[in-house]
Amino acid sequence: MIPKVIDAQRALRFAASAAMALVLGTAPAFAQAEWKPTKPVEFVGAAGAGGGTDIFARAVQLAIQNNKLIDQPILVSNKGGGSGAETFVYVKAAEGDGHKLAFGTSNLYTLPMVAKVAFKHTDFMPVAAMVFDEFILWTKGDAPYNDYKSFTAAAKAANGTFKMAGALSKDTDQTLTRLIEKDTGAKFVYIPFKSGGEASVQLTGGHVQSHVNNPSESLGHWKAGQLKALCVFSKERMAEGPKVTQTQGWSDIPTCKEQGAGIESYQMPRTVALPPGTPQAAVDFWAGVLKKVTETPEWKDYLTRTAQTGRFIAGNDFKAFIDEDEKRTRKVYEEEGWLVN
Amino acid sequence: MKNERALISRTSMEVATALVTGGVGAAVIWGAAEHDIGWGDSGPGSGYFPFRIGILIILASLTNLVLALRRRGFANEVFVTNAQMRSVLAFGLPILGFVVLSLLLGLYVAAILYLSFVMIFQGGYRPLFAIGLAFAVAVAMRLIFPIWFKVPLLTGPIEALLGLY
Amino acid sequence: MANLDSLFHGFAVALTLQHVALMMIGVLLGILVGVLPGLGAPNGVTLLLPLTYTMDPVGAIILLTSMYWGALFGGSTTSILFNIPGEPSSVATTFDGHPMAKQGRAIQALSFAFLSAGFGAMVGVIVTTLLSGWVTSFALQFSSPEFFAVYFLAFASFVGLSGAQASKTIVSILLGFAFATVGMDTISGSLRLTFGFDELLRGISFLIVVIGLFGIGELLLTMEEGLKFEGVKAKVSLAGVMETLVRMPRYWVALVRGSLIGVWMGITPGGPTAASFMSYGLAKRFSRRREHFGTGEPEGVIAPETADHGAGTAAMLPMLALGIPGSATAAVMMGGLMIWGLNPGPMLFIERPDFVWGLIASMYIGNVVAVVLVLATVPLFASILRIPFAIIGPLIVVVCFIGAWTVGASKPDLWIALIFGVIGYVFKKLDYPIAPLVLALVLGDKAEDAFRQSMLMSQGSLNIFFSNPLVGTITTLAVILLTWPLWMSLIRRAHLLRITQPKVVE
Repeated sequence: MIPKVIDAQRALRFAASAAMALVLGTAPAFAQAEWKPTKPVEFVGAAGAGGGTDIFARAVQLAIQNNKLIDQPILVSNKGGGSGAETFVYVKAAEGDGHKLAFGTSNLYTLPMVAKVAFKHTDFMPVAAMVFDEFILWTKGDAPYNDYKSFTAAAKAANGTFKMAGALSKDTDQTLTRLIEKDTGAKFVYIPFKSGGEASVQLTGGHVQSHVNNPSESLGHWKAGQLKALCVFSKERMAEGPKVTQTQGWSDIPTCKEQGAGIESYQMPRTVALPPGTPQAAVDFWAGVLKKVTETPEWKDYLTRTAQTGRFIAGNDFKAFIDEDEKRTRKVYEEEGWLVN
Repeated sequence: MKNERALISRTSMEVATALVTGGVGAAVIWGAAEHDIGWGDSGPGSGYFPFRIGILIILASLTNLVLALRRRGFANEVFVTNAQMRSVLAFGLPILGFVVLSLLLGLYVAAILYLSFVMIFQGGYRPLFAIGLAFAVAVAMRLIFPIWFKVPLLTGPIEALLGLY
Repeated sequence: MANLDSLFHGFAVALTLQHVALMMIGVLLGILVGVLPGLGAPNGVTLLLPLTYTMDPVGAIILLTSMYWGALFGGSTTSILFNIPGEPSSVATTFDGHPMAKQGRAIQALSFAFLSAGFGAMVGVIVTTLLSGWVTSFALQFSSPEFFAVYFLAFASFVGLSGAQASKTIVSILLGFAFATVGMDTISGSLRLTFGFDELLRGISFLIVVIGLFGIGELLLTMEEGLKFEGVKAKVSLAGVMETLVRMPRYWVALVRGSLIGVWMGITPGGPTAASFMSYGLAKRFSRRREHFGTGEPEGVIAPETADHGAGTAAMLPMLALGIPGSATAAVMMGGLMIWGLNPGPMLFIERPDFVWGLIASMYIGNVVAVVLVLATVPLFASILRIPFAIIGPLIVVVCFIGAWTVGASKPDLWIALIFGVIGYVFKKLDYPIAPLVLALVLGDKAEDAFRQSMLMSQGSLNIFFSNPLVGTITTLAVILLTWPLWMSLIRRAHLLRITQPKVVE
């Protein structure tokens, strides 16, 4: 849309609200410093329903709702088309509207690298990264491997016939698979599915040898002993907690680094972004609300149940984080020949 | 049907349709050619199926074209008569207008205008009744979609002016 | 039978006043969203989910699943009355349901649809109850080659049915496949056939295509007969519902076959939409009244409806036990499960038997409640057809475009719906069959994904589709069905030969 039109609309709307204010005898919100949602808010999840992004958005919704952090209702919708690109296109089109928030992962800045989409991560007003999801190397429950080394050695010996299932193509799962290959010299056949849940069922059924799902995506199968968690790709072990399986809790899973992997850590941020041209006051408002969300018991419960690491980054820190992670990912993608933009 | 004046003959419509579907086939081929259209070690590339689908669409469309031209029966058949076309346009053009209005003014305003227009000028209802009903529909739309089910509908400048969403 | 014990316990959980009240609310809301194209069960569930955060999980899931049942029923209503499928899975119901309504038999069509849907759902729940353990381990045997074989089977059982010119059927199928490839390709992660339009990256929505082809296309066709601004006169009474109920057992073959197909597709998970098409296709292929299909044959309503609901119900089991949602609605519900603090997976049955069996018991009661409520609405819905066309026609147009908008909140979708409306009109008049296009659009990308995943697994060898007894059987069955007309003509010729040899016929 042409900016002039928007300005005219805004002016009209302003005039209308000013007139209404005169009639009602209240002061219109002149001050830019104060921003509050004035209509229902939409949380748009950049992945299909039922997946990690959906649950992330709903957990934030739940915390806001239960603690009455804002006065307007929140609707969570899922626009997972085009590996989530649908969400970013949709939110980008809502220029200047502080009522539409894109909930995503690193796909906010990695998607424009691998697909010809008409948005860049710099188009958006980044609000915050709220939580980092871990990646675990999983094999079937009765598989003969017990750690990173023995598994990758077997994969190497299998001469490129080991199958690694994952969610989507040229996204985090496939990137991590490539990193493991580079680290160990093993070769995997990477098989993309629509979601981590599907990948997990494929492994449980013994149709593939491994996957690198997030903890929550394979929790049900791990509990039942159908899957085995070899190691987690993080610097430190995950937070202490109650036992999940008969014998193990999340903190009992060793780090891959401990087991001699060359991959220091691999995590996926869960991010929130606002449309281009959103007033800074709205960005600050949401950063404040999301910060409060991270202090609620509902949020703590969400982190424990999904075994993610809470780390809140907002403002300039978040921008710097995106820049850095974007550069790092770009290097991997470039080597793989995935870059299109 | 045959004694009515034919506006478009069956043959010409068959030919036109075959040409359009063939054109779609060509577009599909063109779009697929940007991708890997081969069958590699890891199975078919992302352009493999679309490329072949495009070719097959063109072949099948050509078949339709030839059959349409050769079939005698079609020559006498009528695709649409004058009278039929008038009915279809009388109904179809307001729909087109509704779509254009929706894009410019939003679904609510467009629905009010469209419903009133059709009911008054084609249904022959009294203007007061028609406009009242059209407004009632708009109110129902607003209640059901954005308010109850939290699904916002397309709005335009008028709603913006009123501060509705 | 430990399962039966658990089930009785489940009934005790489900049959409280509060839970039955929730069921009724859920069903009624579901009918409402199901009736409105563009709003569907996923919308309803999304809307109610936040309200359930503070409820107990059993009550919450009962509310959501009841809404799902209601929406499935509601979706068939508009299919029959206006030729507009409210849900993707009720497309096949339009084929015979709408002709019946046009002939003034709306009451019968709706009653047949609801009763057979209820029957299919019941079979689905019973299978769920008796075979829960077996079903889970069976579903685990399915990988990409098996998925592809199932889609192939669904497709093979439907195509080759219309009496249309073969090259037209082929164009229709191929167009469906071509539209299905638009958007992001799962396997390579690249965008296909979007031609630089961002609006196309999520693909061409099935619902919008159907709204155009069926809804608007049908209206244009109706208009051609002149501006017939009058309603269909139909006798509207509850007695019509009862008559239909009495006639129901006559169609037991269609009922049983439809339910089995539905349950099979729900478990595997081919999904309700594919199930309804497959069931319709097989019913038509093996019916003695084959040539009446498409003109208002009750069996053509019963077959897709039983399968649709059988699949919808049976799909709940893989969702709970494996964590794979069998439908869009189930996916939204799964998100809810996680928020309630439950983890779908095999352990759910052991950790929260009250939840699982309460849910299964509520599926029995909920479906009975749904059938009764929905049958009570039949006279109401059927009388909509009495409204003069000058009012209802434009209203349908408005509702169609609202539906097209709500799918993706994207302006070009309104044009796409209109264009498909014109395509629907032209195709119908030129005898291009539309149904194969729709089916190809539904199954196209799923089938392609499964095929290419299989090729990755087998490193390019097609033998993978015969690599184990399961996939081999399904593939073979599909090939037989696909070539069925060929077999039939061979058999007929052999038969003729035998007859003509001993004595001369005519």
